[in-house]
Amino acid sequence: MAHNELILTNVTKRFGGLTAVDDLSMKVQEGQIYGIIGPNGAGKTTVFNCITGIYKSEEGSVNWRGEEIRGLTPYQIVDRGIVRTFQTIRLFSQMSVAENIMSGRHIKSCQHWWHGIVPTPGKKRDELDNWKKVEQQLNFFNLSEFAAMPAGSLPYGIQRRVEMARAMAVDPTLLILDEPAAGLNDKETMELLETIFKIRDQGITVLLIEHDMDMVMEVTDYLTVINFGKQIAEGTPEEIQKNPAVIEAYLGSEDDDE
Amino acid sequence: MNNLNRFGLPVFILVMAVLPYTLNERWQAVAITFLVFSVVALSQDIVLGKSGMFNMGQALFFGMGAYTTAILNNHFGWPIVATIPLAILIPAIFGILLAGPIVHLRGDYLLVVTIGFNIVFVQVLQNNLGGVTGGPNGIFGLDSLKILGANLTSQIAVYYFAFVVLLLTLWVMSNLEKSKPGRALHYLREDQLAAESIGINTRVYKIFAFGLGAGIAGLAGTVFATQYAAVSPEAFDFIQSVLFFSIVLVGGSSIPGVMLGVFVMFVVPEIFREFATWRYFVFGFAMILAMILRPRGIVPATFGKIPKFLIKGGSHGA
Ligand SMILES: Nc1ncnc2c1ncn2[C@@H]1O[C@H](COP(=O)(O)OP(=O)(O)OP(=O)(O)O)[C@@H](O)[C@H]1O
Ligand SMILES: [Mg+2]
Repeated sequence: MAHNELILTNVTKRFGGLTAVDDLSMKVQEGQIYGIIGPNGAGKTTVFNCITGIYKSEEGSVNWRGEEIRGLTPYQIVDRGIVRTFQTIRLFSQMSVAENIMSGRHIKSCQHWWHGIVPTPGKKRDELDNWKKVEQQLNFFNLSEFAAMPAGSLPYGIQRRVEMARAMAVDPTLLILDEPAAGLNDKETMELLETIFKIRDQGITVLLIEHDMDMVMEVTDYLTVINFGKQIAEGTPEEIQKNPAVIEAYLGSEDDDE
Repeated sequence: MNNLNRFGLPVFILVMAVLPYTLNERWQAVAITFLVFSVVALSQDIVLGKSGMFNMGQALFFGMGAYTTAILNNHFGWPIVATIPLAILIPAIFGILLAGPIVHLRGDYLLVVTIGFNIVFVQVLQNNLGGVTGGPNGIFGLDSLKILGANLTSQIAVYYFAFVVLLLTLWVMSNLEKSKPGRALHYLREDQLAAESIGINTRVYKIFAFGLGAGIAGLAGTVFATQYAAVSPEAFDFIQSVLFFSIVLVGGSSIPGVMLGVFVMFVVPEIFREFATWRYFVFGFAMILAMILRPRGIVPATFGKIPKFLIKGGSHGA
C-alpha cells in the first residue's frame, strides 16, 4: 500500500468568483518526472499551493501515500516528505547560502526547544551532522564557493540553485518545482536538466511546472496540460505534442503572443 | 565586525569585571542600571530583532519579574536569591499565554495589542491587585542579597549580581544563535511562508521567542528590585517598553548594537545631566538620524555562524 503516489481527485479552488483550479484530477507515480504545463494564469501554481497546504481546495481530495493531506498545514506536509520551490524565488535573503540550506534540515534535526537555551553534547553532534548534510548539498549543487554569502546578493541562476538545495536538504520523497528554469540562460537550463535527472536517479519523484516547451518535452515522463483551471490533456510528451486540443490552447496561443 | 566579536566582547567583559572599583557610588548605580537594562534590551532583541515581532510590551515582563521578587520577599519572607526561579518562570509562562492568541497578528496589530497588555499590567499594579502589589507606591523595604549566609549590602555586590545575570544572558544568546530554534526565529523573520514551506511550525517558535524573552526580562526584574530594594508601577510603564523597542531598532539586532543603544539611552543622559530636558530633545534627533542613515541599526545583525569547514577559498562575507 505504501506506494509513493500523489493522487488529486476533482480538486477545485476558487478565489471569489474565479475558479482557478476546476475539477482537476491527476496521478503522479513514484519515480516519475511529472510536468504540469498551461498558459499564463491557467492555475498551475494554484495546484501546487493546494498540494503543499498554502491553500486548501474547496472540493476534492489530495491523497499522498494513501493519506488525505488536504487541509494539512505546509509544515505538516513537509513532514510527510513533500517539499517545494517557488516561482518567485523565496530565500532568506539576508542569510548566508549555507544557513538557507540548513533550514531544510530543520525537521530532520533532533534538537528540542531547550537546546536554544542550554547546549548538550547531543546538540553539538546534531549540529555537526546537519552542517555535514549542508556541505553535501553545497557540493551537489556546486554552491561551495558561495556558502558564506548572503543569498539575496547572488545572481538569479544561483539563487534558483540555492532554493533547490534547500528543498533537497529535507531529503524529500516528492520534490515540487515551480518553473525552475524561469530566468535561466541556456547553459544554466542544461545544467538544471542534468540536476533534475540526477535527483530522479536518487529515487525522488519530481513534479514540475514549466513554460519552456523544449525543456518539458525533454525532461518529463508524463504531462498534464491545464487551461482555465481545467485539465485539457494528459499523456507522455509524444502524445501531448500531437494532441490537437493542446496545440490549439497552448502552443497556438504561444505563437500568437510572439 | 569579525574583530569586534572576537576581541570586543572579551575586552568588554574584562573592563566590566573591574569597573565598579573605579567608580563612586552614583556612577556605580548608573553602571548597574546599564547592566540591568542591557539584559532587558537583549531579551527584547530575541523577540523584535531575531524574530521580527513588534512587541511593545517588554517592560511588562521586566516588571512581572521585579514584582515577583518583591512580593515573595516582602510578604512571604523568601530570600532574594530564592525568588529567582519564579521571577523567571512566572513572566515566561505569562509570555507564552499572552503570545498564544496574538502571534499570528501582523506587525502593526501586534504592536497595539502588546501596548494594551502593558497598560493593563500597570493598571493592575496601581490598583493593588489582591492587596499584594502595594498600589501606586509599590513595595519597598526589600532585603538585601544574602548568599551562603553572608549579607551583601554593598552596591558592589548588586553590581556583580547584575553582571552575572548579563553574562548568563549573553551565554544563552550565543547558545540560541547556534541552535535549531535560534535559526528558526531568523527564518520566520526573513520569510514566514518560506519557513513554513520548509517545515517550520512558525507559531510554536514565535511563542518560544516570547517565552524566552519574558523569562530573561523577568530575571533582570529581580536585579532591578534588589538594586532599589523597592518596586513601583511607573518603572514598568509602556514608555519604558518604547525605549527598549527603540534601542533594538536604533542599535541593530546585535550584542554590540543593543549594548550601545542602552549606553546611549540610559548612560549618556546621566553624563549630560546638567542639560536636563534638552538631552531628550537631542536624543530624539539622534534616533531619527540613526534610522535614516543606518536603517538596519548602528551595528546591524550578523546572522548565525556557519562552521569554518563550509567556508571555501574564494568566498567572503561570514
Ligand atoms: N491568492 C489569490 N487570490 C486571488 N486570485 C488568485 C490568487 N492566486 C492566484 N489567483 C488567480 O488564479 C489564477 C491562476 O493563477 P496561477 O498563479 O495558479 O496561474 P499559473 O498557471 O501559475 O500562471 P503563471 O504561468 O503566470 O505562473 C489567476 O487568474 C490568478 O490571478
Ligand atoms: Mg505560476
